[in-house]
Amino acid sequence: MTEKTTPLSDERLVELSLDGDEEAFGILVRRYQRRLAAFLSQLVGDMELARELSQEAFVRAWSALERFDPKYRFSTWLFRIAHNLGIDQLRRRRLQTMPLYRTDSEGDEVEVVVTDLDKDPLGHLENRVLASELRQVIDGLRPEYRELVLLRHFAGLSYQEIADFMEMPLGTVKNKLFRAHSVLRKALADFL
Amino acid sequence: MIRGEAHVATDCQTIQEILTEHGGGLDRLDEAESRHLEACPDCLEVAAAEQALGLLFARAIPPADPVVEASVLAALRPARIRRRIVAFLPVAASLVVALLGAVMVGGVPGSGILGLLPEWSAQGWMAFATSVSDWGTAVATGARAAASTLDPAFLAAAGLVSFFGLVGVAVTALRWRRISLWRNDR
Repeated sequence: MTEKTTPLSDERLVELSLDGDEEAFGILVRRYQRRLAAFLSQLVGDMELARELSQEAFVRAWSALERFDPKYRFSTWLFRIAHNLGIDQLRRRRLQTMPLYRTDSEGDEVEVVVTDLDKDPLGHLENRVLASELRQVIDGLRPEYRELVLLRHFAGLSYQEIADFMEMPLGTVKNKLFRAHSVLRKALADFL
Repeated sequence: MIRGEAHVATDCQTIQEILTEHGGGLDRLDEAESRHLEACPDCLEVAAAEQALGLLFARAIPPADPVVEASVLAALRPARIRRRIVAFLPVAASLVVALLGAVMVGGVPGSGILGLLPEWSAQGWMAFATSVSDWGTAVATGARAAASTLDPAFLAAAGLVSFFGLVGVAVTALRWRRISLWRNDR
């Protein structure tokens, strides 16, 4: 099976995977691998770790495919698995390190993420200044905004999917993302 | 804020929320909102900034990594084998149960296996067949016949096989029910 002619929907690919078509799941892997790695790398701040976690997320999704609830979209389900893996990883890491905090533009304390340049999630960007700025801006967002921005721009979820994912009202998602974007537009003005 | 267009009721924040949600896409605005946008430099600025922000984030997505993809697919193999085994278990259990039943009834006619079967293999089931009109009697007769003719270890093994066969059938039924739900939901 190939995606050369008409791209199959996620739902159809899951159905084929459940029927034992392994290549169908391979197409889902190709379809989501980049966004999953991007989402996880921003979440855990380490590209290599993100690759490992994305691999684990796909394996878990494959193993649990029969328990997948069709009332949700496959992408939402997959990113939930990845999100849980990322959060578990962060919890484990927090047990081993002492977090540093600084005050953000709105006067709240946010954790300072010290980035290892060799494992920089944005290391693929040719423009080093942009990569550095984008990393700082994303890391500097309030956690509640940061997570929504990651889900929106790295996981590629719609507002409704984010609301389902976060189990919060759609209006709250809209409001928080509107505020987050105001911060992003201001902070990244030089690049826009 | 609109300059010199106080009569336009549409609020800047509403429009900017729409622009934020849709990456600065102007096609999401209705006629009144589009008119507002044409006259409002603030909203126009937000539209342009949102489009640029969308492009910026698109650049932040790393390129596809074939090595990662290959390692993901390779890592699926053990899970794939487990899935196949689990999928085959109910079939295997059913086959074993059917085979045991065939052996107990008398084996395959004309086969060399028949000669190897102990005499007791048909006795219990014959008694069972004659009492079939009364299920209580049938079960009691069957149990008595089985207890008197079969080795306890064999009985226990047959019971276990039957149990796992039933579990297998239930698991398969649940799986297909889920797939059926999945198909009907779309």
